[in-house]
Amino acid sequence: MAGIRNRRAIRWLQSQLPELVASGVITSDAARAIDRHYQQDQLRSNFAFALLAALGSALVAAGIILLIAHNWDELGRATRTAIAFLPLLIAQALVVFTLMRRNDSRPWRETAAIFDVAAVATAISLISQTYQLQGTFADFMRTWLLLSIPIVYLLRTTLGAIAYVIGSALWLFARWGMLSSAGNPMLFWVLLMLVIPYVVIRFRRDPDSRETATLAIIMALAALFGVGATAEFADANVGVIAYAGLSTAIYLCGMKLFPQPSGRLHLLAVLGGIAIGVVAIVLSFESSWHMTHHVSSARRSWPANVAVVVELLFPVAAVCLASFDLLRRRAKFSLSAALLPVVTAVAWAIANLCEFPNDRWQSTRCSFAAATVMNCYALLLGIDILARGIRTNSIARANFGLLLIAALAICRFFDSDLSFVTRGIGFIVVGVGFLVANVLLFKRRTAS
Amino acid sequence: MNMLRILIFGVVVLAQLAVPAAMVWQREQTLNHGRVWKFRTAPVDPVDVIRGRYIALRFAAEEFTAPTKFEAGDNSVYAVLKEGADRFAEIDHLTTEAVRTDDAVPVESVWWSGSKQHVRLPFNKFWVAEANAAAAERAYAENNRRDNQNAYVTVRVRDGDAALDQLYIDNQPLSDYLRAHSPR
Repeated sequence: MAGIRNRRAIRWLQSQLPELVASGVITSDAARAIDRHYQQDQLRSNFAFALLAALGSALVAAGIILLIAHNWDELGRATRTAIAFLPLLIAQALVVFTLMRRNDSRPWRETAAIFDVAAVATAISLISQTYQLQGTFADFMRTWLLLSIPIVYLLRTTLGAIAYVIGSALWLFARWGMLSSAGNPMLFWVLLMLVIPYVVIRFRRDPDSRETATLAIIMALAALFGVGATAEFADANVGVIAYAGLSTAIYLCGMKLFPQPSGRLHLLAVLGGIAIGVVAIVLSFESSWHMTHHVSSARRSWPANVAVVVELLFPVAAVCLASFDLLRRRAKFSLSAALLPVVTAVAWAIANLCEFPNDRWQSTRCSFAAATVMNCYALLLGIDILARGIRTNSIARANFGLLLIAALAICRFFDSDLSFVTRGIGFIVVGVGFLVANVLLFKRRTAS
Repeated sequence: MNMLRILIFGVVVLAQLAVPAAMVWQREQTLNHGRVWKFRTAPVDPVDVIRGRYIALRFAAEEFTAPTKFEAGDNSVYAVLKEGADRFAEIDHLTTEAVRTDDAVPVESVWWSGSKQHVRLPFNKFWVAEANAAAAERAYAENNRRDNQNAYVTVRVRDGDAALDQLYIDNQPLSDYLRAHSPR
């Protein structure tokens, strides 16, 4: 708290340091140590203050927007237009001031950024109302996002970048939900690409901070939705491979970019791991392999073909990421988890070997074979994660492996024709596995 | 570094001001110099009139008898307008050629049912004040029934740009109508 309480005193002390060193009162090492001590203190208090400042300015900005949205009928067009530009000009002046005088203060930068971004929205909204401009919410979001992204870079605001990614996802939902047929979602990837250099800068400068992690996780979640929309738009039946690729890529990025001490997992890797488990379980259903098979008779448009390329980028990226580490013998990830895109691609190829009957509810020999491949894979994945959990003494990981096996067992309980005896034995085996693994782990933990 | 940031922000300032300013400029041009068209509104489902703070508009001209279905493929569609006997706008025909005149507007969607061609005109939201929203909804619904069609909008069209100007109820602009009929 010293950083907040005595900031003026600290600044004074820091300004005195060269003099003290010159007059021989303290050594230059001592001066540097003092300087470093107060800098760290200031950084810590700055983050909390930045959050509060950002929240405060967001509330003020929201208030301004609500006031404007009230849509004063009494004012003429010219007055309303002037009012629309006023907050924007004030916000821009604030940004210039911040850049010139308060460039090192995070709270100032966050506040100025939020004001400017909100003022842009206010200006566009009020002018749309004044001039009876039409257009959808998605159109509005697109303009707003494109005008706001430079602010993220100029004012180096990570909270702003997080808000921008959420905004891009909102654009996607607005576009997705608006049309009965899937709208072209490719702009979403352009919007996401625009923020990637910032993520890289952020990661290089401060890989361990909570904000960098949050930004990465939000990006991953947004990409999961993006792949869904892209797969629907592409209508090419390769969505399963795209999802497998993205899940694996998230997991590998989490493992590679955010290594954690003592075998712990970063939240991004956990998210990727869960996604891998979900994809494996979903694809273990036979219906996943014949119900999605649907090729529209209409001629394919080029945006739809671009969407297919985007979809296929994810499995390719995942395979490249994994092979890079494998070739350099530095792989720290679970190989079975990294194999998901390859296994999915094999299962996809098998499923598409057969002629599809007209009725999408009807299974084929090939869809059965594809599901079998995925079942074997999911089982192996569960066992591998369980084994890794036991090896690294991680109860969470071991139980996640067991959960995967149990989920697989439950799914097969409902949709397979196995006899009750076989199912019963299966459940007993899984249950005993749970108990034994946990007892073993807890014993080992208490022993150590 | 900082100077560079300020210079880049200068460009951003121009963009942030230019986008709303361009909206204003284009609308001002159309509203001042565009040709005036009157569109008679069509009855709507009363529940569906107000969404948020705008009146969802439907027009009588959006549905017309046509001998054959209009095929547009993936192209944009424009409606070429004509003035009917009652001085209200009607759609003369549809075209896929980009028309930049004062008597054609782009349309949002085109569909066909029961030997009738349907289109969706691009000006279908009329923003209203929050305080007036309820009264505006009532006024529009009362004057836009099948037995009492007494509402229309004026639209200015210039070089293919259509600007919604005013919503008239009982031949008065909406705000005047509401003021005259507000219970005091």
